[in-house]
Amino acid sequence: MTAILADAPAKRRSKSAETKRYGFFPGCVAKESCTELFNSTLLLADKLGIELVELTAASCCGASVLNDINRDVARVLNARTYAQAEALGLDDVITICSTCTGHMRASNKELLEDGTAMEHANGILGKFNASYKGTVSVRHLLWLLIDDIGLDNLSKMVVNPLNGLKVAPFYGCHIIRPESVNGWESARNPHSLEDLIEALGGEAIDYAGKTRCCGFHVQLEKDGIAPNMVGQNMRMAKDKGAEAVLTPCPLCHLALDGYQADSAARWGRTDLPTFHLPQLVGLALGVDATKLGLKRHVISPGEVLQAHDLAPMHVA
Amino acid sequence: MGKITLDLFRYDQAVDAEPHRDRVDIDFPETATVLDALEYAKAEVDGSISFRRSCRSAICGSCSMNINGVTGLACKTPISTVLRKDNSVKIDPMPNFEPMKDMVVHMDPFWDKYSRLKPYLQPADKDSDHERERRVSPEDMKKLVAVANCVMCATCYSLCPVVSVDPSFAGPAAISYAYRFIEDTRDSKQKERVAQISDDYLWLCAHCYACSYCPKHVDPHDRIIDTKRKSIEIGMLDGAGPRHALVVAKTIKATGMLGENEVVIGTVGRFNFRGILKIMPLGLRMAAKGKVPPLIMHPVDKVDEIRTIFNAMEVPVAS
Repeated sequence: MTAILADAPAKRRSKSAETKRYGFFPGCVAKESCTELFNSTLLLADKLGIELVELTAASCCGASVLNDINRDVARVLNARTYAQAEALGLDDVITICSTCTGHMRASNKELLEDGTAMEHANGILGKFNASYKGTVSVRHLLWLLIDDIGLDNLSKMVVNPLNGLKVAPFYGCHIIRPESVNGWESARNPHSLEDLIEALGGEAIDYAGKTRCCGFHVQLEKDGIAPNMVGQNMRMAKDKGAEAVLTPCPLCHLALDGYQADSAARWGRTDLPTFHLPQLVGLALGVDATKLGLKRHVISPGEVLQAHDLAPMHVA
Repeated sequence: MGKITLDLFRYDQAVDAEPHRDRVDIDFPETATVLDALEYAKAEVDGSISFRRSCRSAICGSCSMNINGVTGLACKTPISTVLRKDNSVKIDPMPNFEPMKDMVVHMDPFWDKYSRLKPYLQPADKDSDHERERRVSPEDMKKLVAVANCVMCATCYSLCPVVSVDPSFAGPAAISYAYRFIEDTRDSKQKERVAQISDDYLWLCAHCYACSYCPKHVDPHDRIIDTKRKSIEIGMLDGAGPRHALVVAKTIKATGMLGENEVVIGTVGRFNFRGILKIMPLGLRMAAKGKVPPLIMHPVDKVDEIRTIFNAMEVPVAS
């Protein structure tokens, strides 16, 4: 059932993995409301000894919204971003957002599999003397951590183990679905975040909400939808004993962190702090906790971090 | 052959106050389907186990049920693909429906939403005005083929997280069917159909791709996007959904980046003071922690190239 893409990153050693030099596509939210994600990603990269070369001319990936207006524009914009990576000699574009991952991979799949789409994109890129040859792979930081660094190496690098912190993984839709676009792990039963949490010394909480939607993309369309979706999922996590949530997606982070206050009336108080992926990995690997932006969360992670001896109260 | 445990949801609405679970052990080949196993359990172990089924070959759409947390057709799901570590398979009725008996659910909301579409062709003239059948070109037919494969199993509806919190949402199958009639060149009610499906919250789709588990590859998520695009194309620009799409495009064209502040205000509506008041508490909660997007967005490098793309492709943006 799972269709694995031609450029699927699984078990593939890219040139970037050898040179430890990757193209970096931070996406919009990490440069706007969630700068703590951007900063902690760079701090983590430093700790891992890899170089993330930011694609400073890249545009938004289309955010799953441009498709509503035009069938092709997001694909052409993304082709332009890949052309920049190629021009810099980079064959991996690393994302830190589930929505960027899914939509940039969907564009790349179309470009690589459909000659007409590639020709169309290059026809427009030609107007400013750019072209995309088709050598780029789009991968999430989570996949880089597991495929290129490795869970064994990561657990050896842990200096600040999570001391049994009970963490509920929250994948975000677009890093797993549709399977035909992502295919790096099973969309029905992913376990990369659980594996990572365990490798860092935490306890991964299994709950049905981990692969469900946070509601971010419809938060403004109708009242109550996103808070209810957040409440439903966080209730499940809390009932299974979670103390915190870990997500590879800043959009999920914004919804989960922001809406638990609103969902409490229907779903009861959950108050689960929501970590960005590089914040929690960074913390375990010994990145200076005061630089991870832990104070920038609506739901403070201070108490749970202190309870597990992970960071003093004042950093969060 | 191997020992398999079916972990079954059991409930009879007419008798039981609460559902319970039964574990039924059978010796059965893992290469068989979940439906085969249920049929065997019903025939050999407990004749009261209830589930809908008919064709056994993914054509009738009757046997959709929740298998280890994901809805699918039992007749199309090999046991080997869903067996858990303890050799069990957890089977529940479809979520988002009221259970009737075991895996049988009340399908009424699903059919009601389908009926609202007037799911039949409404041509502009009478059949008798034509000497022969109305013909559709292969090119036009291509757009309808995916939805024509739909067997109305309600897998997508049962997995839709928006339906789970707001039953007024039409759901993926109904929107896909609306698209099938909107794009049919023989139909004359395109605008009415787009208006109707917009009233049933076309724009409430959360883009989650849960409906990508469609067992018939209808790809409802893509049909929803097609329908949204159609609604913008015919000028239905009122509402938060179209405003959102157009203002996102505007900010990307201007700076290369999706400008969070402008998108929020532009979606709610600049002069929609009630709407803005409603989003204030979240905005203030975030602002209190410094989570404020920059008020002035600086364009990315070579932003002219991005504008060239928008202009060359004549992409509409908010004014």
